[in-house]
Amino acid sequence: MYIVVVGGGKVGFHLTRALFNAGHEVFVVDTDGKRVDELISHFGNIAIKGDGSEPSIQTAAGVARADILIATTSTDEDNLAACQLAKHLFNVPKTVTLINNPEDENLFDILGIDVIVSSTQLLLAAIEEELPAHSPAHVLPVRGNREAAAIEIPVNSGVAGKKLSEIQLPPETNIVAIVSRDGTLKPITDDTYLEAHDEVVAVTVADQAEALLEVLSREG
Amino acid sequence: MNVIVMGCGRIGTQIVIALWKEGHNVTVLDSVGESFLSLPKELQELEGATIVSDGILEEELVEAGIQDADVFVAVSNRDNRNALAAQKAKHIFNVPKVVCRVGDPERQEMYNRLGLATVSSTKVTSALILEAVLP
Repeated sequence: MYIVVVGGGKVGFHLTRALFNAGHEVFVVDTDGKRVDELISHFGNIAIKGDGSEPSIQTAAGVARADILIATTSTDEDNLAACQLAKHLFNVPKTVTLINNPEDENLFDILGIDVIVSSTQLLLAAIEEELPAHSPAHVLPVRGNREAAAIEIPVNSGVAGKKLSEIQLPPETNIVAIVSRDGTLKPITDDTYLEAHDEVVAVTVADQAEALLEVLSREG
Repeated sequence: MNVIVMGCGRIGTQIVIALWKEGHNVTVLDSVGESFLSLPKELQELEGATIVSDGILEEELVEAGIQDADVFVAVSNRDNRNALAAQKAKHIFNVPKVVCRVGDPERQEMYNRLGLATVSSTKVTSALILEAVLP
């Protein structure tokens, strides 16, 4: 296959090498002459210096006969422009792009970019399992090896819709305030109901903060 | 009308001043704060009229009032940034009228074919000069 890569930075370089080694015909466009020289010294005459979102440069890179264009620059707007140009001026069957700002994924999708790879989203997905599902928003150390923690009740929490009297708190834990979503304080009585998005402020023993978080956010 | 102008260079400044004098509610974005020095003092000091932003981040566009905007004009000196911001305004925020400046005539025609209203300053200027030169 003939693949044009826009952006010969770290991702572009290693991508080019992998595609090259897999036997594909690859061509790289980069605005930085040093990167172009580096690519040429490794892979032969397969790169040119220029703006990959300019029609004249895409013409020079042979985008018109490309099977795939892959945009890997560090700026989403340049990647989008390169893909749209390839797609609509040169009828490239498949456009692939990296995005840096995850919120751009939606727009790129609407605009018909075929494959959108969000580096931020990939990293987040990779570490998601390592992170606790919900962290206490704020923790403040308090005298006597205690902590004050403010915890928002998640939507799917088992305690949402329950009365305080029905909730088994960890030992030595006192709820000191419940702030509803609109910012008003709820009274703290046995009959007070907890709802999703309530922020619960509690004082607990330092090593019980995790247990408290578990009680308030465990799915019901 | 509520108008957001992205880019406060020479073109942006002209557009902002004209619309403001017509009594429209104008917000202008530029990534460089000093760019606003080209605006009349009254407009520089008007709260919310100028925002330092490259017009790309959605939260900054929301801060600029894009959800209530009638018009979004992308006229910075960077084609790709204009195209991204304008397409965001059109497809994500559904702004009724979006106009985008694209220097390169070939790309300008492509965006027009895609339904994005674009103006090529290169094309307009060269046409005017040719008109003045040719009998």
